[in-house]
Amino acid sequence: MSGIDALNIAKDSLLAHQTAINLTGTNIANANTAGYSRQRAVFSTLVPSVEISGIERIYDQFLGVQINEQANDLGDSEARKDALERIEMIFDETDGGGVNELLSEFWNAWEDLSLSPSGQAERQALVSVSESLSSAFRSYSDQLSSAQDDANAEIPLLVDQVNDYASQIADINARILQAGTENTDEPGLNSLKDERATLLSGLAEIVDFNSITDSDDSVSVFLSNGMPLVEGGETWELDVVSENHASNPSFYDVVFKDNPDVVINSSITKGKLAASLEIRDTAIEGYMGSLDELATTLVEKVNAQHRQGYDMDQNLGEDFFVFDTGTEEAGYMQVNADIIADINKIAASETVNGDGENAVTMNTIKDELTMSEGNSTISSYYSSLVARIGQDVADASDSVDHHTNLMTQLTNKKESISGVSIDEEMMNLIRYQTGYNASARLFTAAEELANTLMDMVS
Amino acid sequence: MVMRISENVKFNTVVNNLFKTQSSYNELAEKIASLKEINKPSDDPIGMSKVLNLRESAAAVEQYTRNMDACESWLTITESKLTAAGDLLVEAQEIAVSQSTATSSAEARSSEAETVQQLIDEMLSLANSTYDGRYIFSGTKTGETPFSSSERSAAEIGEATAAGGNGSFDGTVSSGGVYAGSVNTTYVVKIVTDDEVLANTTYRVSSDGGKTWSDPPSGDLVDGVPVTLGDGIELTFTEGVTDNLSEDDIFYVQAFAADSSNSSYYNGNGEELSVNIGEGVPFAYSISGEAVFTDKGDGEVEIFKVLNDLKDALEADDQSAIASCIDNLEAASDQISKNISKCGTRMNRLEIAQTNMADMELDLTELTSKIEDADVTELITKFAMKEVVLEASYSVASSIGDLTILDFL
Repeated sequence: MSGIDALNIAKDSLLAHQTAINLTGTNIANANTAGYSRQRAVFSTLVPSVEISGIERIYDQFLGVQINEQANDLGDSEARKDALERIEMIFDETDGGGVNELLSEFWNAWEDLSLSPSGQAERQALVSVSESLSSAFRSYSDQLSSAQDDANAEIPLLVDQVNDYASQIADINARILQAGTENTDEPGLNSLKDERATLLSGLAEIVDFNSITDSDDSVSVFLSNGMPLVEGGETWELDVVSENHASNPSFYDVVFKDNPDVVINSSITKGKLAASLEIRDTAIEGYMGSLDELATTLVEKVNAQHRQGYDMDQNLGEDFFVFDTGTEEAGYMQVNADIIADINKIAASETVNGDGENAVTMNTIKDELTMSEGNSTISSYYSSLVARIGQDVADASDSVDHHTNLMTQLTNKKESISGVSIDEEMMNLIRYQTGYNASARLFTAAEELANTLMDMVS
Repeated sequence: MVMRISENVKFNTVVNNLFKTQSSYNELAEKIASLKEINKPSDDPIGMSKVLNLRESAAAVEQYTRNMDACESWLTITESKLTAAGDLLVEAQEIAVSQSTATSSAEARSSEAETVQQLIDEMLSLANSTYDGRYIFSGTKTGETPFSSSERSAAEIGEATAAGGNGSFDGTVSSGGVYAGSVNTTYVVKIVTDDEVLANTTYRVSSDGGKTWSDPPSGDLVDGVPVTLGDGIELTFTEGVTDNLSEDDIFYVQAFAADSSNSSYYNGNGEELSVNIGEGVPFAYSISGEAVFTDKGDGEVEIFKVLNDLKDALEADDQSAIASCIDNLEAASDQISKNISKCGTRMNRLEIAQTNMADMELDLTELTSKIEDADVTELITKFAMKEVVLEASYSVASSIGDLTILDFL
């Protein structure tokens, strides 16, 4: 055992402590870097001294998976909430002026007409409010269509994002594999892994997936149906196709680029992409269906009653409302142009003698249980449609709150494991500095010993 | 459990709490600004639905109230006209009584005959009163002058009239026959087939002005041969040269009842106009001239005939004839009184309905307000409390970065 050994011991110790201090510096520098996991130098004995056997990245993998799941739920809820809130604005009846008010005015106009069946003012008022009512139906329908188109337009953008994330993740997988074989510096490796974790979270907001970390540290990503998006350094790109939907040829479906005939919409169950698909295909379709049913029933009932009445020329009434191009949907509802042109054609009477009683009967349609298989009136059907939309928004909103809270908890948990605490790093700095100072003193002492030895022989 | 607190945890916690507090603060501010609990459907979906239904009910109540006001006006006018008519009859009765005694003379009777003529003219004017452009005593034929000054001593069948929008048919339609009905009616014919020659044409008949139709359709038209629609009314079609009858072509005939023993002055019908004064609550507001002034349908005395008989008897200086008018005039007076009290009964019913409707309106307003309106006191209290919390949050946030280990190294 010579003094030279002590020099080597001191040297190794100095180097190790230097590395540790540098690492502390890296941690402090990155205290505010998003997604940064703190790194820890692992001191291990290399007889007779010490070495840094590795730089550990402090990161809980399972927490990462949980966070991605929440990100997925949160992305889904937020996308739904945004889309539904816009739809809620269409049906905002809180200050009146919507279909509910117009329907009441429509029924009342018939009653006023019955008290003065040949009155031009009453006839004109009826035509005006009928036109406003049809216009409201058309407008709501158009706005719903427009919201559907917006949801549709999101889909190719989201698919592009998925492909983007996937290719970046595959890229990092490749570099990690390469770095593993070449044994390059570990901090660089750790920051790549942090980057990949962030990318996976970003991807999780858009689609739901399962991820598997292989033994060689590459992460593979699979859709819920088991089909791979990323495997090692390889990706399978997603794509969109259109012309598949009977209701609207411009609607997109999601497919794999290398298999465009198989539509995989049903394999994407949660996340922003799933939300856009669901809003477009289920939620809005449902609302439009209800609005259409309302319009067609109203038109059918009014027309049937109108055809039984007599107008001011003793003719039987024609259709009061018509559908443009014959399409029986709310978006095509119009007042019969013949009636707008000649208000004498309003069939207010039930006999040829101009009695106005048909208008009275017309008004009673509002009390008939014509909707929901004989369970609700036209007005109450509309009220429950508005309530349904409100409830959907409230549910989405609650879901956002719930998942935000969970996300916050999980994020805090992650932070407490992986986050940098300045207090702790400062203490570490003191610790390593002490170690470094001690090693330096050891070096000095060992040098003195060696010099003493030299002096002895010279 | 000891948790590692990193820098991010500290700041995230503070920021998140700030956002939460601000968010509820803003929500309260919105409610105070609008004074409504429900600012969008998602605030209270079920409440929103209830509010919409209540609004619909309120609008209906408003309309029913308007209807009732209109009925009230109509009945008030009817009552005043009838009262005036009653007064005229009292005058006629006085004349009849005084002129049926032996003390009167031919000159006196002749002069009273002119008075009676004036009474008749005034009665005619009352019977032909209008309200808001409609004749009040014409039944449902509100565009038709109900009473004419000349007598109809035999049943009459009017012209066959085509509706204004019928298809082009260049044959002819004419009415005929002898009306055997006891009240005035309107017969309507509706063509079922489209563009067929008469032999193949089918049609339906309505005896109530076009409300109900015969079923199955009849198909017995022959060029120039009359078909009987009912009650002795005949309609004759002749074949068109180039254009046949179209589907839904309407032809109608007015028929007036009378015969030599009970003549008629009436052109309207015996139906009453009605309007809804509540959900499923029809209210008949008009009284037909038939019931008031004639002996057809619900009426018992042909008032104009009675008055004209009196005038004729006075002109003829026929004492016994004048005396026999007295009973008739009494009956006429009773008929008017009966109808005046009918007005009164209806107006009473209307008054009750109006009160109920006003109560309902109040209830609806109250219910709507309960769900929709915000309790301002409660809101402002909560708002003030929230402000305190927000202040505390800001104060904590500002001191968060103050204390670190760096101060001590």
